[in-house]
Amino acid sequence: MTGLIELTGITKVLKGQEQTRTILDGVDLRVDAGDSVAIVGRSGSGKSTLLSVLGLFDRADAGTYLLAGQDITRLPERRAAKLRSARFGFVFQRFFLLKHLTAAQNVAMALVNGQGWLPRRERRARVLEALDQVGIAHLAKNRPARLSGGEQQRVAIARALVRRPQVLLADEPTGALDTETGTAVIDTLSAATTRGCALILVTHDRDHAARMDRTLDLADGVLTERLQAPS
Amino acid sequence: MRRLSGRLRSALVIGFQGIRARKLRTLLSMVSLFLGVLAVVVVQTGASLAERAMLADYELTTGVDGTVIGDVQGNAQATDIVLDTVRGRTDATALISMTAIIGEPAVTPVNPGGSPLGESWGDGRPCYPGQACIEGPPVPGQAVELRLTAMTSDVRTFRPFRPRAGRWLEFTSIPAMAPRLVLNREAAEAFTRHRVPAEMSIPGSTAPITPQFIGVVDDGDTAPHAYVRFDELSTWLPTANLSNPENGGAAFQILMTASTPVQQVLTTRLRGIGSDMYVSTVDSREEQESQLNLIRLVFLAMAALVLLIGVAGILNVGLATVGERVEEFALRRAVGTPRSLLAGIVLAETLLTGLLTAAAAIGASAAGLKLLSATLGQSEPFLRNVQFPWEAGVAGIVAGLIAGILGGFVPAVRAAKIPIASVMRA
Repeated sequence: MTGLIELTGITKVLKGQEQTRTILDGVDLRVDAGDSVAIVGRSGSGKSTLLSVLGLFDRADAGTYLLAGQDITRLPERRAAKLRSARFGFVFQRFFLLKHLTAAQNVAMALVNGQGWLPRRERRARVLEALDQVGIAHLAKNRPARLSGGEQQRVAIARALVRRPQVLLADEPTGALDTETGTAVIDTLSAATTRGCALILVTHDRDHAARMDRTLDLADGVLTERLQAPS
Repeated sequence: MRRLSGRLRSALVIGFQGIRARKLRTLLSMVSLFLGVLAVVVVQTGASLAERAMLADYELTTGVDGTVIGDVQGNAQATDIVLDTVRGRTDATALISMTAIIGEPAVTPVNPGGSPLGESWGDGRPCYPGQACIEGPPVPGQAVELRLTAMTSDVRTFRPFRPRAGRWLEFTSIPAMAPRLVLNREAAEAFTRHRVPAEMSIPGSTAPITPQFIGVVDDGDTAPHAYVRFDELSTWLPTANLSNPENGGAAFQILMTASTPVQQVLTTRLRGIGSDMYVSTVDSREEQESQLNLIRLVFLAMAALVLLIGVAGILNVGLATVGERVEEFALRRAVGTPRSLLAGIVLAETLLTGLLTAAAAIGASAAGLKLLSATLGQSEPFLRNVQFPWEAGVAGIVAGLIAGILGGFVPAVRAAKIPIASVMRA
């Protein structure tokens, strides 16, 4: 059976002026719908690069990337943008909320992206639904300056969820939060997997990684699965 | 088409959000662009006014566009026909000009030959072919020589003289025994400089005339000139004496509107006595075309230069704004916004700014013109009831759009090239 995401022999090389450095070295990865996967590793191990390739921000130099059985390894930018909009949701360490927009408008930003046009009423309903999923629908009209760090990250998660993505890519989403708030954010992200969305979480936090279905170690560009004792 | 519509809407929605979010920056962009667009609008309006002013000067001396001018070399019969045909009409007026000297009798005037003050046109003695020159008065004295034009009705219908002082002739009252004269500016200057007795002599007049000055106008003539009602003058100068050679032999000029039947009636009646009327129509725009084109070209070059400065301003602010919004644009790309839409967002912002600025500049120019017309319209007829030229409005909008496109193009390209990785590495 075909997985939602299948990476085979993905290689990414960083070409410098004097020497080249292999960031990803034949990475193989399979993620199914509803899976939650943690990727851990030291700084500079290539976690973010792997996430860039997964999220179609960047292209692999070698290997194959299948999304729901479709080869998207060499996708032109225009189609990549369309796929990013339709299939992926992104959560970053920094929240990247636009300070002049309300929470609802920040979430709506993912819907007003030139990939189809939703009528205002439908847009509003989708935004409120996403904010409700992350438990902050009552803060819809607040601007980022009036929200706490955890609330801001929840707005960012709602922005990632509003297009009902199949894959949620999170790059150290708790990096700027305290432990308690970080745990709440991981809870919110994990909840998305119950609706069939795959979650790929890049994190330094072993506790958060342990809460995922699988944990993968990335070291020197090589991805290896860490065996977990059944809990 | 549907996709284009979605992107256009998205660009406009996000563009408006961007403008609202950066009000001060938008205002600064508008200030630099405002001056540029205002210059274009003002220059276009100025060119239009310069045209009007130029044509207005031409109208003073020749007549407004469309005026039909008939020249009749008269004799006693022709004079009677002309006067009989145009009498009491407002759609046609007959003018006859002659030399008049106002001041001390039997002296050489201060401006022999009716020359402008400070110029010399000779000693003023009339000479005729094959004859000796007529001896003029040998003694210099306090008198001013001028051209006197008598008219059967108000000439300002055809030549809109600009009032400067006093009042103009009115043609509804009973003729005065002392002919009322309206001077042009040069004549007024002459009578200000030289104190002369109130006595006017005209070749062929039955007696010296005592005129009264009632007003001053700008008629575009640089030589002394005065205007008088024909019926007031004819009390002292019988029509039979108009054909005096010193008066130009009763040469009438008839100014008519294009629709009046006077031209046809006069032509027919004059042919009946073997005379002709030479007819021409004033078309000042055609005659001034090359000069008007030059004015437009010079003004256009000036406008382009000023607009370029406005474009540089909006470009500068646009580049700074894109630099500040790197993360926003990278994030938008991450959520699926295509590069073309990112460029569209920046262009939409600069275009909206350009259009808002154009609207402000057009409004300011229109208000300024109205104020100018209200304050100076009385003394400058070409500014009276002047409407804001639509060409200036169109030029302002086009300038705003061009400035928006030129000033937003480079920032738009930069925005589209921002890598998504900017958010990953932040």
